[in-house]
Amino acid sequence: MQISRNYRSNQTFLQIVPYKQTLFLLLSLFLFTACSPQAVLDKPASGVLPVADSAQLPDVIKTLISQSDHQFLNNDFAGALATLERAVRINPRYAEVWSRMAQVYLKQGKIEQARQHAKRSNSVIKNNDSLRKFNNEIITSDSIEDSSVIQKEQAH
Amino acid sequence: MTNPKPKSKSKSRKKTSKKKAVKKKAVKKPSGRLRFLFNRYTLLGLIAFVLFFSSYLVYLNIQITEKMSGRIWSLPSHVYARPLELYQGKHLTVKQLISELKQTEYSRVQNRPTKPGQFRVLNESHFEIISRNFTYWDGEQKSQGIRLSIYDNKISILHELYSDKTLPIFRMEPVKFAGIYPSTKEDRQLIKLDEVPDDLVLALLAVEDRRFYEHWGVDPRSIVRAMLANLMAGGTVQGGSTLTQQLVKNLFLSPERTLSRKINEALMAILLEISYDKSVILETYINEVYLGQNGAQQIHGFELASQYYFANSLRKLRRDQMALLVGLVKGPSWYEPRKHPDRAKARRDQVLKLMHERGALSLAQLNKYKSLGLGLAKKPRFSANRFPALVDLVKRQLKQDYNEDDLKSSGLQIFTSIDPYIQSQAEASVKRVISRLEKSYKQAENLQTSLIVASSQQGEIQAMVSDRKPSFPGFNRSLDAVRQIGSLIKPAIYLTALQQPQRYTLASRLDDSPLRIKTSKENLWSPQNYDKKFSGDILLFEALNKSRNVPTVRLGLDVGLSDISDTLHNLGVRRDIPAYPSMTLGAFSLSPFDVANMYQTFAANGFNVPLKVIREVLNKDGRPLKRYPLESEKTIDEKSIYLVNRVLHQVTQTGTAKSLANLFPQSLAGKTGTTDDLRDSWFAGFSDNQLAVTWIGRDDNASTGLTGSSGALRLWSDLFAHLNVDSLEMIQPAGVNNVWIDAESGGLSNKNCLGAVELPFIQGSEPTEKAECKSVGIIDQIKRFFK
Repeated sequence: MQISRNYRSNQTFLQIVPYKQTLFLLLSLFLFTACSPQAVLDKPASGVLPVADSAQLPDVIKTLISQSDHQFLNNDFAGALATLERAVRINPRYAEVWSRMAQVYLKQGKIEQARQHAKRSNSVIKNNDSLRKFNNEIITSDSIEDSSVIQKEQAH
Repeated sequence: MTNPKPKSKSKSRKKTSKKKAVKKKAVKKPSGRLRFLFNRYTLLGLIAFVLFFSSYLVYLNIQITEKMSGRIWSLPSHVYARPLELYQGKHLTVKQLISELKQTEYSRVQNRPTKPGQFRVLNESHFEIISRNFTYWDGEQKSQGIRLSIYDNKISILHELYSDKTLPIFRMEPVKFAGIYPSTKEDRQLIKLDEVPDDLVLALLAVEDRRFYEHWGVDPRSIVRAMLANLMAGGTVQGGSTLTQQLVKNLFLSPERTLSRKINEALMAILLEISYDKSVILETYINEVYLGQNGAQQIHGFELASQYYFANSLRKLRRDQMALLVGLVKGPSWYEPRKHPDRAKARRDQVLKLMHERGALSLAQLNKYKSLGLGLAKKPRFSANRFPALVDLVKRQLKQDYNEDDLKSSGLQIFTSIDPYIQSQAEASVKRVISRLEKSYKQAENLQTSLIVASSQQGEIQAMVSDRKPSFPGFNRSLDAVRQIGSLIKPAIYLTALQQPQRYTLASRLDDSPLRIKTSKENLWSPQNYDKKFSGDILLFEALNKSRNVPTVRLGLDVGLSDISDTLHNLGVRRDIPAYPSMTLGAFSLSPFDVANMYQTFAANGFNVPLKVIREVLNKDGRPLKRYPLESEKTIDEKSIYLVNRVLHQVTQTGTAKSLANLFPQSLAGKTGTTDDLRDSWFAGFSDNQLAVTWIGRDDNASTGLTGSSGALRLWSDLFAHLNVDSLEMIQPAGVNNVWIDAESGGLSNKNCLGAVELPFIQGSEPTEKAECKSVGIIDQIKRFFK
């Protein structure tokens, strides 16, 4: 009897390009929004945000992420979360979607929910150290102010 | 008072004058008294009457303003299923999509669809659909034409209807599967006056109240005209009531025909006209008027009637259809167009003729419309509440935020995660399996059941059945049948042990020999295995796989009852757990919903996601009120739960649920549960995308003659055979290593040794002692291959 026989372990499910790059882009965009909100509204979100880089994601997930980014940039956080939940319902195995939910919660100041979603993101990561590192930053921060994601945003 | 006329001219003047004097005298005295009385009592009476009348008017006016300024109507709340998301690669059968479209009242057409709410199917695989406008929580989605192809039960192409532009995703409007109705059973959909087509208003006024904009609530001219018409006809053929009077009658008064009611009606109509604008009165009338009956539900207002008779909004009706609705005001049951099409057509034509007379239709148009059929849609299917258990769950989950009255009367739009396809499959499975079990097992009779399906990662309820007759309203077993859970407790006990890797691993040896526990001074408890045998030593993973009782009790007592209780709470069980030894065999009670909550945490790898059914709530105008977001909390560490899940998968291969291995190529996980005397039969299991808990038992708690495997598991597997099952995909957490060990001794082995199994271990807890290795012979290798 072999317990592992019917189990497919460690399949490469999702590989995302270096997450620092995406984070940097996102933070730059925050700065940009602060200076000129209208300019950002006019830009198609998918052209700026790292969604296009996530070549491994199916179109449907990319579209929903892009839509949620747009809502996020318009400060429609509940809308962004609702859209990301649609993506989770379609397939809950994409670590990037959970991680984005964590970011939205963080922005909302809901640190505990942010941490939990970062943990969920980690639980489905198979091979993406930079995303894990990013999630861990959220998990280990004691408060919103501690969160390096927010600190970086404020520094800009 | 006049004097009597003189009877004859021959009577003498004297006599006459004498008589007059006498009469005058005789009359004068009482007349003075009468005048006195008249003056005094009449005045008092008059004052009393004026006082009474004016306070009565004030009373009536209060009634009017209360009703008009507050909530005029009780609007039922509507419960929607999940919207079907269409995207390339989505698993969907042609049958499922057609069923979904029919349930949302889309009409199938033969030619290319041209209007929202139509679809056609080509070659039983290509769909062309024009969606309707629909307001979701995140805004309105405009009507759009789409085309899609289904190949091999998956969406292969999703395009815009009139171009080759690919659509990454499209959300279909959700099925409205239930209503939470006010006790009056009234149903309506509100419409604003400026959204009501002018032609409808014109037709309505032409038929019901031509001088609406001229009268003051009561129209004496109409009354006289109606009286004359009725006299000529020798019966009631025409009513003289204005729209305002009709509205007053519907809103405030009982239907009986008495003079006092008529007077009240007239008074209130005048008061209503004094206090409110004509447009308010007209809008209220249009939303109030009774226009038909759908089962127990009363159809009120033109908008709902339009949807009930034509499956289209009022704005989109043809003029002949509007004429029919206006014609129905006179007698919705007499002219009921589905029952009496000839009467209805004659009435419609009368209205069309009046519209022509008022200049709204040319003669050519009149003739054209008269030649048309009634154009009715198929009668909407749902009427009474076919899903009592689900609606009960929705109500209970909303109770935290809304009271019962709000639910029944505020017209809330409640969006849930219910999947109509899974629900229909669940109901079919319940009916099929329960009757099959009662035929196959002598002892099995009067069985009852509960079945809950949820998405495994998000904990969203997709289907729920609480009775063997799913549409029977009554005891909601899924939520309220609190029953002993038997072996369903075991994964929680093994999980508690495995959270201490320094003490327990999957390869730990457990003692499966007779056991006696002193429960009190006089009482001894001797737990037994199901087969009444003892196997000596057994490895921990095998004890769970085969659901052995005695080693579980030992393990449970060793890790501590309070620790097990803590684990259960971390798994999402909210009830108090008794701290006595027999709890290790599940001698305490949970509802199927509690069990689903508990196993959801296994399915989501240690993340507890409280089960929920509601996603969003909108108000009657489609404005978002509340969203119930996905909330999850990591309550169990991923390594220990991974180890247990690996065994729960093994249960479906070689353990107590091994029948699943032959039925499903997909990888699954689950646990059976049976209680003393076969009173309860349980199964809790999950695939990658779905979790389901099934329970079979009897309301009188008598024996069912069924084990978890022979009862509840059959129901579970029957349902899953009809669902799209994704193979379970467990991600091995970092810090967990697979090691080959000897299945007999638990010592280190390798894959070439006889009796070796590969088990996961939390790093650092791997066995260190080596077991004796007997090489696998050719025959064993062949056996292993086929295994």
